[in-house]
Amino acid sequence: MNGRPDLTNVQVNGREYLEMAFNRCIKCSTCKYSYKLFDQSCPSGEKFLFESYWASGRIRIAKGLVNGDLAWNDKLIDPIFACTTCGACAASCQAPHADFIVDIIESLRELTVKHVGPGPHQEKIKERTRVHKNPYGEDNSDNRALKTKHGLPDKAEWVYFIGCTSNYRRKRVRDATLSFLKKIDIGFTLVDEYCCSSPLLRTGQVEIVEELMHHNIQVINDAGATKVVTSCAGCFRTLCKDYEKFNMEKRFEVYHLTDLVADLLQKGKLEFKSSISKQITYHDPCHLGRHMNSFETPRLIIQSLPGVNLVEMRRNRQHAWCCGAGGGVKIAYPDWSVEVARERLEEAKETGASIVTSTCPFCKTNLEDANKQFSMGFQIMDLVEILDNLELNVKK
Amino acid sequence: MEELKEKLSTIFGKDRVTSNQVDLYPYSYDMTECSPGMPDFVVIPENNQQLVQLVSLANECKIPLIPYISGNNVGGLTIPHHGGIIIDFGKKMNRILHVNEDMMYALLEPGVTFGQLKKYLDNNHSNLRYSYPFAPPYASVVGNAILSGMNNLSCKIGSMGDSINGLEVITGMGEIARIGSCFYGKEHSDPGSWWCRYPMPDLLGLFVNWQGMTGLVTKCAVQLWPNPRIQKCYMVIMFGLTDIVDVLQEVGRSEIVDDISAVNTEVIKMTCEIPEPVKIPGEPDFAAILPITAKTEKMMQAKEEILHQVVDEMREKGIQILLIDFLEFAKIFNLRVRCYHDLPAVILSLVEYSGLTWFGSYAPMHEMKLLIQKVYSIFNEHGIPPFIYMKSMKSGHYAIFRPIIRYKKFKEEKKVHMLLEEIAETCINLGCIPYKTPAWMTEKMRKVINPGWLQLFERIKKCMDPNNIFNPGRWNT
Ligand SMILES: Cc1cc2nc3c(=O)[nH]c(=O)nc-3n(C[C@H](O)[C@H](O)[C@H](O)COP(=O)(O)OP(=O)(O)OC[C@H]3O[C@@H](n4cnc5c(N)ncnc54)[C@H](O)[C@@H]3O)c2cc1C
Ligand code: SF4
Ligand code: SF4
Repeated sequence: MNGRPDLTNVQVNGREYLEMAFNRCIKCSTCKYSYKLFDQSCPSGEKFLFESYWASGRIRIAKGLVNGDLAWNDKLIDPIFACTTCGACAASCQAPHADFIVDIIESLRELTVKHVGPGPHQEKIKERTRVHKNPYGEDNSDNRALKTKHGLPDKAEWVYFIGCTSNYRRKRVRDATLSFLKKIDIGFTLVDEYCCSSPLLRTGQVEIVEELMHHNIQVINDAGATKVVTSCAGCFRTLCKDYEKFNMEKRFEVYHLTDLVADLLQKGKLEFKSSISKQITYHDPCHLGRHMNSFETPRLIIQSLPGVNLVEMRRNRQHAWCCGAGGGVKIAYPDWSVEVARERLEEAKETGASIVTSTCPFCKTNLEDANKQFSMGFQIMDLVEILDNLELNVKK
Repeated sequence: MEELKEKLSTIFGKDRVTSNQVDLYPYSYDMTECSPGMPDFVVIPENNQQLVQLVSLANECKIPLIPYISGNNVGGLTIPHHGGIIIDFGKKMNRILHVNEDMMYALLEPGVTFGQLKKYLDNNHSNLRYSYPFAPPYASVVGNAILSGMNNLSCKIGSMGDSINGLEVITGMGEIARIGSCFYGKEHSDPGSWWCRYPMPDLLGLFVNWQGMTGLVTKCAVQLWPNPRIQKCYMVIMFGLTDIVDVLQEVGRSEIVDDISAVNTEVIKMTCEIPEPVKIPGEPDFAAILPITAKTEKMMQAKEEILHQVVDEMREKGIQILLIDFLEFAKIFNLRVRCYHDLPAVILSLVEYSGLTWFGSYAPMHEMKLLIQKVYSIFNEHGIPPFIYMKSMKSGHYAIFRPIIRYKKFKEEKKVHMLLEEIAETCINLGCIPYKTPAWMTEKMRKVINPGWLQLFERIKKCMDPNNIFNPGRWNT
């Protein structure tokens, strides 16, 4: 389908970001490598190499489409969808639109979905979510069984928002979170949650996201909660940032589990009694780190674990190398996705760590896939799994 | 075209060749107001063998080859004028092949960036340094050297073209030639043999400043310099429109500073992130940054003493000048301006609009005052605040004169071009020689260049590239 969408008439989320980038991006290449560290940081560009696979190229493509210089056709698909939306480019770009580069890429995806169609295999995400309310196509769990099993009330101050990956694929992360939250005794419950919308937003398939968002807000409100905690970095980013972007009115605050734990530690309400003598390295999930600016909180927690030696990978914090799973890449480009994770684990090897920990079940999935596929020999653990293995001293 | 794509894929591999319009598009323009032009293909080379085959194929099909590294030249030099094949050197031919501590040089592939070299030297050879431009850190060292860049050691060492020790090139005949002291060795060169370009006939001149029109550079050795332990940075602030030229001249010839980068008040304000910077009456006109390095404290003291003496002498002549510590200034006003000192860095104010262009030129020092006056009045006539950048080169033997224009790409090209044309005409008439020159500017130059030079130039181009495959259209070829 060919067309010349005039931006003023196009209904696209983040139209203002597109316009800002057109007036600001100078094609200086700073987004290609970590600023001042001069390390490779863009998984997409490093793999596919042509300018169209780096942030600046994508901004140019957006411009070309809007100008009518480029046609809407399926040749767009790879340059636009082979990107993990990790935000490493945004961390390096020094121009005023830097913070919005991921929004720009997502807006571009939204337009592409409208004019051409979704990225490879990504329509499955939409179809499954439409029918089953989760991108994995599993029967929607209303979490009643879990509530009963764990003796959770119908109403509570806190809701633990499990997230689809933890609920349907990385159940150990879910169970460790449930167990840990009970141990710290914060008075929480579960709700009949739908997908937070992250996979749909990241892949430009936005038709049903408002319905999902409304539902989640409703069930959280119905539970009488004023606070939501999640151990999924993707859900955290979405509930915080994207719900706002879609003008959703929330009556609750959203926390990543690490914020909660760090707060308890700081107030002296939580201590770790047992120790683990391990060398651990921490992988910053893009959605918690670059997207939400939380780099030190998880590290503070790891450093407070008795016996643990936290060793940093060469690329860390805002310049961390992505795990390769995000932005719909895992489903669209599965082989490349695992290659990216492999590169991360090779970096982890240099640290001498035996455990690679993270704070996102989707990172865990991809790192674990690479760990198995390339026999890397790590223990890949979500931080909450480590926490839940320890003896705690909880003070009221 | 399909047949050609097949052939290119055989040479480079399927994944390293594209003719997808979406992939080609980002190569079709740069930050300048130069008109865009689409290539037909982009290829990503990894070795010489592929490039030799490419040159032979291009000669056979008479298709242009446009060498590209990061397209940061600010002259439209990698925008295809007549379609063709963009050779993107930046992605896979970007290795630092050798750093020689004894003879202080680095042997590089074309794609090595300033950031990459800086990091490598800091980590592995911290006693050595390179000379960095105000370009983004991911512009290439080789691209800058073969275009005679002017960087932050230029007051000492002059043009970056002078610091090239040797090149490996693929010629229009598909021959691989090593030029410089590395020319010994029938098959391969010793990495330790790239230490000098003289005294044989200087064939380097066939490739430096030719904008990719005579062959493909595949290796380049550049001189490195001692990295003295003691480093300071001064700033002079000038009240009086043209007095800055005295600084370029007098401080330049005192041989105590690594660099003199002078900018007018509008540029300083822009660097301090004042949104639409204009000079207010009573404010100074120009400032210059003067980095000074020394091996010992005593040496630094001596250099500082000379600097103060030069400044005092200027004051005695009635010149209003302030001398201050630049790093303290940065602390007080805006830490971002430190980026002028901590190169390579992004000079934010230069990259915050989608468009950037300039008339960058080597300029005769004795015409600098007149240049400033004339260019100021052109800016004023166009109702655009003047942004001027200047440098003193090689102890003041010559200067750099560069009026800068930031603009909104896709919106203000016409307006900007009109201003630039007028500036170019005036400056060329005063003897300026534009660098990284777009074709519309070389057209103007051709009108005043002596015919003998032009004939020789044309003849060399023809001889080096009989089928006009290398970046055709540059210099109106
Ligand atoms: C904001 C900004 C500030 C700048 N400040 C300065 C400054 O202070 N001083 C300065 O000197 N420069 C400055 N520059 C320009 C910049 O430093 C150089 O022009 C740049 O280093 C060229 O590198 P590139 O990678 O962008 O090369 P490109 O632009 O990709 O290529 C440059 C030229 O070399 C040719 N070429 C590329 N590869 C080859 C090859 N392998 N063989 C033969 N020919 C080849 C190309 O065809 C083109 O003609 C600035 C640029 C910007 C954007
Ligand atoms: S996105 Fe930012 S860093 Fe990248 S080219 Fe554009 S301005 Fe430069
Ligand atoms: S979001 Fe990540 S993968 Fe996508 S362009 Fe930016 S750095 Fe590259």
